[in-house]
Amino acid sequence: MPDLAWFVVRRLAAAVLVMLALSFAVYLIFYAIPADPANLACGKPCTPDRLEQARHFMQLDQSTIQQYLNFLKGIFAGRTFGDGTAAVHCNAPCFGYSFPLARPVTTLILERLPITASIALGAAVLWLIIGVSLGVVAALNRGRPLDRLSVGFALVGVASPSFLIGLLAILVFGFWLNMVPVSGYIPLTDSPVDWAWHLVTPWLVLAVLQAASYIRLTRAQMMEELNLDHITTARAKGAGEARVVLTHGLRGALVPIVTLFGLDLGGLLGGAILTEKVFSMQGLGDLLISAVAQLDVAVVVGTTLFSAFLIILANLLVDIVHGVLDPRVSHG
Amino acid sequence: MSSSVAGAVSPTRLALRRVRRDRSARAGVALVVGLIVVAAAAPLLVKLAGQDAYTYHIDLLDPARGNAPKGAIGGVSGDHWFGVEPLTGRDLFSIVVLGLRTSLFIAVVVTLITTVVGTLVGISAAYFGGWYDAVVSRLVDFLFGFPQLVFMIALGIIVPGGFPRWLLLILVLSVFGWAGLARLIRNQARSLVAREFVEAARSVGSSGWHVVTRELLPNLLGPVLVVATMAVPGYIGAEAALSFLGVGVPPPTPSLGRSISDSIAWVYTGADPWFLVFPGAALFLAVLGFTLLGDSVRDAFDVRLRRAN
Amino acid sequence: MARPVLEVHDLHVTFRTDGGLVPAVDGIDFAVAAGETLAIVGESGSGKSVSSAAVMGLLPGNADVTGEVLLDGRDLVGLPSDELRKVRGNDIALVFQDALSALNPYYSVGWQVAEAYRLHHGKSRDASKKEAQRQAVRMLDLVGIPDAARRANSYPHEFSGGMRQRVVIAMALVNNPKVLIADEPTTALDVTVQAQIMRLLEDVQEEFGTALVLISHDLGVVAEVADDVLVMYAGRAAERGTVRDLFHRAAHPYSLGLLGAMPRVDVPPKPRLTTIPGSPPSPGSISTGCPFQPRCAYTERVGERCITERPELTPRPGEGDHEAACHLGRRPSDA
Repeated sequence: MPDLAWFVVRRLAAAVLVMLALSFAVYLIFYAIPADPANLACGKPCTPDRLEQARHFMQLDQSTIQQYLNFLKGIFAGRTFGDGTAAVHCNAPCFGYSFPLARPVTTLILERLPITASIALGAAVLWLIIGVSLGVVAALNRGRPLDRLSVGFALVGVASPSFLIGLLAILVFGFWLNMVPVSGYIPLTDSPVDWAWHLVTPWLVLAVLQAASYIRLTRAQMMEELNLDHITTARAKGAGEARVVLTHGLRGALVPIVTLFGLDLGGLLGGAILTEKVFSMQGLGDLLISAVAQLDVAVVVGTTLFSAFLIILANLLVDIVHGVLDPRVSHG
Repeated sequence: MSSSVAGAVSPTRLALRRVRRDRSARAGVALVVGLIVVAAAAPLLVKLAGQDAYTYHIDLLDPARGNAPKGAIGGVSGDHWFGVEPLTGRDLFSIVVLGLRTSLFIAVVVTLITTVVGTLVGISAAYFGGWYDAVVSRLVDFLFGFPQLVFMIALGIIVPGGFPRWLLLILVLSVFGWAGLARLIRNQARSLVAREFVEAARSVGSSGWHVVTRELLPNLLGPVLVVATMAVPGYIGAEAALSFLGVGVPPPTPSLGRSISDSIAWVYTGADPWFLVFPGAALFLAVLGFTLLGDSVRDAFDVRLRRAN
Repeated sequence: MARPVLEVHDLHVTFRTDGGLVPAVDGIDFAVAAGETLAIVGESGSGKSVSSAAVMGLLPGNADVTGEVLLDGRDLVGLPSDELRKVRGNDIALVFQDALSALNPYYSVGWQVAEAYRLHHGKSRDASKKEAQRQAVRMLDLVGIPDAARRANSYPHEFSGGMRQRVVIAMALVNNPKVLIADEPTTALDVTVQAQIMRLLEDVQEEFGTALVLISHDLGVVAEVADDVLVMYAGRAAERGTVRDLFHRAAHPYSLGLLGAMPRVDVPPKPRLTTIPGSPPSPGSISTGCPFQPRCAYTERVGERCITERPELTPRPGEGDHEAACHLGRRPSDA
C-alpha cells in the first residue's frame, strides 16, 4: 500500500520536528533555572574556584545553544564529562547525567520504567475491556436500567480524582478487609504471581476510573454509528444483530476509541504519577518528583523529555492506526 | 422535527428549556449553585462557625493515639463541624470550605482565561487562514505533545520561591488549556466561514469585525459554552492533583488536594480516616457537580464535540 | 398478470412515539410478479418508504406492523427475527437512495458484496470465503464496474456516485433475490447517470427475472419502466392501475396533480406546469373524510362527502384492476 507508506513517512517527519522543537523549548526553560546545579555539586565550602571547576566539568559554562547541541549529540553518540581519570562517561543514548545521583539519566529512567509500564499496561488492558463492553451494552439498551447503571457508573468514575479512589481502595481492601497488599512493587522476573498481586489494586483503581471516559465515548459513538444508513444496509443484507453491532457498528466507533486509548496510554507511560504516589511505587513519576525536590535538573529534563517522547510516539502511532483503520484517511 | 414553533425560539431559550426538563441537569445546576455559594461565602461561613483555618487546637488531640483528634468522627463537635485536623487540631470545616474556595477560584479563572484566549485564537485562525493559521495549528500540536502534568511538576524546580504559587498554577493551567478549545473552534469556524451566510455577509461589504461578531460568534456560542463548562471539573481535578503532589497551593493556605495528601498516613494507620472523608467528599462533589452541568449543557445545546485531539 | 411473488395485504404501520400513536401506513395492498415492475409513487411522507421497510422487517422497535406480507405465499409479518434474517438479502433485497451512506466506509466494496453472499451461503468457511470473493467480482463486473477484480479492493469513497449505486445493486443482487425493492435509487445521482442506473436495473431484471418494486417520485422514470403503479397519499392508496391507466386515465385528483407537475413530451405542451397547492398532511392528523380534501380542487363539486366520508378504492375504467379512492364518479377531466 504505497498510499499508507507515504502517509506514515509524512507523519513520522512531523513527529520528529515536534520532538526537536519540544526538546529545545524544554532545554531553554530548564536551563534558565536560577538555582545553579553546579552549586550543589561543588560541595562545602564552595570557593569560586571550585564552583568554576564544577561548572566546567558539568559543561554549564558553555552557551545554552551549545549545551543543547551537546545534549542532542549525547543522545546519538554519548557524552563524556571532564577528562583523564575523573572523566564521567554517559553512553548513547545519553539523556543527561545526574551528578547528585552519579548515574546517567537513561539508566535511571530504564530502572523505573518497568514499574510504570507494569501499572499502565495492566490497567490499560482492563479499562479498554471494561469501558468498551459497558459502552456497547449501554448504547444497545438506551434508556433502560442497564444503560442508566453504566452511565451512572461512568459519571462517578469521571468525577472521581484517581488519588481519592486509590486511597479509598487501599483503606477498604487493604486495611479493613485485609485482602490485598497496600503498597510496594515486586519485579515480574522475581515472581509473576506476587508482581500481579501487588498490582491488582492500582490496576483496578486506574482501570475503573479510566473506563468511565471509555464508557461515555463508546456509548455516544455507538449510538451515532447504529443510526447510520449502512447499519440498515447490513440488516437488509441479512446480517444478525451481533454482526450488525460488532462488525458494522463497533468498527466505525473504533477510530475515536483507539485515539483516546493511545493518548491515555502514552501519557500514563510517561509517569503514572498520582497512582505511583498513592501506592508508594517508585516509577517514573516518583523519579521526577524526587528530582524536583533535589533540584536535579538533568533528571527533570530527562524525564520530561522522555514522557514527551512517549506522548509524541503515541500520537504518531494513533495517526498511523487511524490511517489503517479508516481508509478515507490514507487513501486519498 | 422542525416545526414552525421551534423555529421562532432562540437556541439559548431552547437549551434552557431542555435543562429544565432533564433531572440530572437540574441536580447539576443545584450542586454547582450550592458549591459556588459556599465557596463565595466561605470566609463568612468560617466566621459564623466561630473558627479559622490557622489556629492550632492541641488540646483537642489525643497524644496517646499519635495526636489524632479526640472523640468520634474525627472530633466532630458543635464548635468543629467537620472535626479537626490531626496533628495540628486546626478546624477542618474551615479548611474544607476555604480549600473549596481556592479550588473553584483557580478553576473558574483558568476557564475564563482559556475560553477567551481559545475562542479568539480559534476564530482568528479560521478567519485569516494562511500562515497565521499554520502557525497556530503547529503551536497547538506542540502543546498537545507536552506531558502537561509532568511539566507542571517539573516547573517547580525553576520558579523562584517568592513567586505566588496560586498565580503559577493559573498561568500554567492556562498556557496548556487554551489549545484544545482553539483547535475545536478553529475547525468549527472554518466550516462556518465556508458557509453561504458568511459569504453573503462578506459580499455585501460587511467588515471583518462585523462578520466575526455578528455571524461567527453567535453560531459558536454553543460549543464554546459546552467546552467551558466541561473544562471546569478538569481544572478542579488538576489543581487538586498538583496540590496532592505537593507542587500546588503551598501551606498554610487551605487546599483540598493537600489535605487529602496529608490524610494518607492517618488513613493507612486507621487513626483518623475522617481526615480523608471531608475534603475528599468536597472535592468529589465539586467535580461531580460541574461534570453534570457540563453534560447537561452539551445535551441542551445538542453540540457534537469531536475530541480535540 | 402471472402469480405474484410478493403480495401485500392490508398493511398497517403505526409508530409508538412520545406524542402518542402515529399511523404511517394505513392499510395498503399491492402485488408484484416475477419480471414485473411495480412503482410506488407519492410525495415524501406519504408512507412509501415506510412500506418498503415494513416489507423487509427493517422498521425500528417502536413500529407496529399488521397485515400480511406474502413472499411466495409465506407471511413475513411476525416471523421470528432469525427466520426473517434468512429472507433479507436472500429472497428480498433493497437498494437505497444514497449509496454513499448505504455503504460501509470501512470495508472494501468487494468485501461488502462478498459479505452479502457469505451471510446466506456460509457453512464450510474457507471454501466459501474464496467463492464469495469470486461471486462478488462477478457481480461487480455484471453491474458494469470496469476492471472489477481490481476495483473490488477499493473503498466506497474512491467511487463516483453512479459507480457506488452500481455497487449497491451488485450487493443486492448477489444472492439472486426474487424481489428487489429500489427506494428512490436514482434521486441522489446526476441526470445522465440516472438513466444508466435505471437501464441497469431493467437489464438485471430481465436477466434474472426479478420482481422489482420501484419507489419513486419521478413520474418520468415510472412511465418508462413500470408495469403497474400505486399512488400513495397520507399512508393510503389514492389510485392504482397499470402504467397506461395512470398516465392516460388517471382518476384521482392527486394523481392528476402529480402528472400536471411533470413535464411531458408525449402530449401537446401546456402553457405551464401546474403545482398542487398546500402540503401533505402530517401523519395521524386526518380523522374523517378524504385526506386529500384540503388540497383538492374538486371538493366543491362533490360536496360534504369529501369532509365526512373517507373514500374507498373503487373500480375505474381501464386495462385491468384500475382503482381510485375518490368520491368523484367520473374522471375529473371529463367534467
